[in-house]
Amino acid sequence: MATETRTHFREELERLEEQTLGSLDMVVEALERVAEAIEHQDIELAQLVIEDDDRIDGRYLEVHQGVLSLLARQAPVATDLRVIAALLDVIKHSERMGDQCVNICKLLPLAGHEPPTHPDILRKIVDMANQARFEVSQAKQAFASRDVDLAADLVRQDEIVNRLNRECFRLALEVGDDPDMREWAMHMMLVARSLERIGDNAVDIGEQTAFVVTGLFREFTDASHPELAPPSPAG
Amino acid sequence: MSLVPISPGRRRKDALMRALLAGATALALLPLLLIVYFLIRKGVGAWSGSFFSTDPNGNFLGDPGGIKSAIIGTLEMVGLATLISVPIGIGVALYLVEYGRESRFGSMVRYFVDVMTGVPSIVFGLFVYIALVLTNTGGSGFAGWKGSVALGLLMLPIVTRSAEVVLLLVPDSLREAALALGAPRWRVVARIVLPTALPGLVTGSLLAIARGAGETAPLLFTATLVNGTNLDLSQRTNSLPAQIFSDIGQAQDRLVGRAWGAALTLVLMILSLTLIARLASRRSRLT
Amino acid sequence: MIDPTTAEVSSMDPSEPSTEPAPGRDRPQPTPGAAAMMRRPRSRARDATAKRVAVEELNAYYGQNHAVKDLTLEFLPNEVTAIIGPSGCGKSTMVRCINRMHEEVPNARATGAVRLDQVDLYHPSIDVVSVRRTIGMVFQKPNPFPTMSIFDNVAAGLRLTGVRGISLRDRVEQALRAAGLWDEVEDRLGEPGVSLSGGQQQRLCIARTIATEPEVILMDEPASALDPIATLRIEELVEDLKRRYTIVIVTHNMQQAARVADKTAFMLAGELVEVAETEKIFTTPSDKRTEDYVTGKFG
Repeated sequence: MATETRTHFREELERLEEQTLGSLDMVVEALERVAEAIEHQDIELAQLVIEDDDRIDGRYLEVHQGVLSLLARQAPVATDLRVIAALLDVIKHSERMGDQCVNICKLLPLAGHEPPTHPDILRKIVDMANQARFEVSQAKQAFASRDVDLAADLVRQDEIVNRLNRECFRLALEVGDDPDMREWAMHMMLVARSLERIGDNAVDIGEQTAFVVTGLFREFTDASHPELAPPSPAG
Repeated sequence: MSLVPISPGRRRKDALMRALLAGATALALLPLLLIVYFLIRKGVGAWSGSFFSTDPNGNFLGDPGGIKSAIIGTLEMVGLATLISVPIGIGVALYLVEYGRESRFGSMVRYFVDVMTGVPSIVFGLFVYIALVLTNTGGSGFAGWKGSVALGLLMLPIVTRSAEVVLLLVPDSLREAALALGAPRWRVVARIVLPTALPGLVTGSLLAIARGAGETAPLLFTATLVNGTNLDLSQRTNSLPAQIFSDIGQAQDRLVGRAWGAALTLVLMILSLTLIARLASRRSRLT
Repeated sequence: MIDPTTAEVSSMDPSEPSTEPAPGRDRPQPTPGAAAMMRRPRSRARDATAKRVAVEELNAYYGQNHAVKDLTLEFLPNEVTAIIGPSGCGKSTMVRCINRMHEEVPNARATGAVRLDQVDLYHPSIDVVSVRRTIGMVFQKPNPFPTMSIFDNVAAGLRLTGVRGISLRDRVEQALRAAGLWDEVEDRLGEPGVSLSGGQQQRLCIARTIATEPEVILMDEPASALDPIATLRIEELVEDLKRRYTIVIVTHNMQQAARVADKTAFMLAGELVEVAETEKIFTTPSDKRTEDYVTGKFG
């Protein structure tokens, strides 16, 4: 059309989306630090992640308020409405992922300053953290470019995290009799669990991308209907 | 941009313009005031009881009589003319507004009505003279009803024009509402359009009547001049304009005086009609 | 819901709630006369329930201007269908073709069929006046008759169509109650219709329309000349009215369509672009033009 209408509204909506996706960047950054903290048992870095979570929480409040404001003032419909509903969902997932990172970082000091470590378990945990970071990045990319295929691919990506989780679990079972080692392994299991949850949240964000584009909400994988899941990659 | 007081040059110009316009208004009002002044001064003198109760008796010397027959004649002829022109005039206006708003025939009719408003009144008189008087239609030459026909023809386009304006003022939304309720068009006209336009139609008709009452020329060729009162419109009938015309050129002062008296009477009659029309239009819901 | 005359299912969703009036709702008690009126069988042969209207291949012209193009659309009984679209898209024209008001405009004509149940209203044997008695219309600007009182206005539809043998007073009261106006005017029925406020005048016009017991009510932007509170009252009224009539409402206010209509149809440049459940049109429209219009990219 020759003249642009509702430019003010469009700009506000775009800014709101930027803020929401920006929170995902914050999560990616946090995961990067988490991976490093785990690898080098860096307690100070872990503390930094915990403190920085305030930024993600603050962003959640901003986006939430922004959504309410747009709904009240602009009566969005159709795609705009779906986008706004999705942003509310995505920012929630962001906030959850931030909280999971905090949980992980709280677990690290509990294992003591120089705990005994099982190199395989440690390796896999760090891989999980890096993979989760990759997933969150892909989820953000998919949403920003409204790419449904990229979003659907997150299921496959998440399967890697799930597989690593299962492998860690098996390794932890056979970790031996040393009580310090056993304690450390338990903590690592909890870390793995948090990372696995982060992966699930990323997949959920992918579902929101599909919702915005198609108007249909479909769970990519449903915990209660594993038969609907796409076939897991070999290995 | 700051606010500045009005400049003295502007002030002078304003005052000058105002004075000029006031002067022009006074100039325009002057003849009117003079007419009123003369009418009253010269006419009131002729008024008396016998002025209104006796017929002119044709005497040039002595008592010339009053103007009774002229008043009655005017009332009769204008009355008949109204009966002819108002229903037909409103009928034509109804056709133009309700059925012929965009038709070719409607445009033609509208054009002819417009032309008729411009025809000089004497031409109507001549037309009736040739068509009805010379042919001795109805068994006599000059007759009151023929005068009515001439007046009616004169009044017809005036009634139509004003009725058309008033009918057009009735909002189309009312017609639409009535049609949408399932009323046939004639009922819409009769029950909605006419009642809504009624005050305006009455006003327009009264103004046409006032116009017709004052016309002289048509009557000279059709009803002419006669002294006696008669209620039979198939005979010659007297009228105020004709009486004035006849009296004013006489040498006798009393006859001239009678003319002025008659003129004052006629003006007052027309004035009261216009006043009633004005009051009626104030009650109208359309204007 | 099965329509007995056509034996077709007239409602898409079998689980749709029944259209009986909501129980327990506080309703003013009718006068005994009005109550008797409601129980007594109507004077018309058919049962005057809401009917389905089907517009088929409608083309409407103003002289050379092709205002409505090959339009096919259905309006279901006891449903409110909203027609939305930018100015000049032909929505008012289309609606006026339904009760054949379109032909009152000089040089206007229409081809195609409009079926009320199975009867084609454009068939040469159909009297246009009877069409308009069955399909009522409410206009954008309230237009009560200025020479008539409130009572006479409501009764006008009956009087103008020569209806005899019924109690005018009962019918007028019924209509005013149904329009939600009775309580406000019952003690001043003799006052001029134009003495009411804008919102009241529009409800008066609605009462006037339903006094003749139509089966379909067409509304051409009924609330656009009213203030927001009066608008909401009209919308409430439409919710009530749909229990007894089929309602078609033209509106340029999309939020109004969203609030009031069960189905929404989007028209553009004389054509029907999309028609669907209102919720779908405003959350997931199928056609990009609809999407652009409802999100305000043009219009």
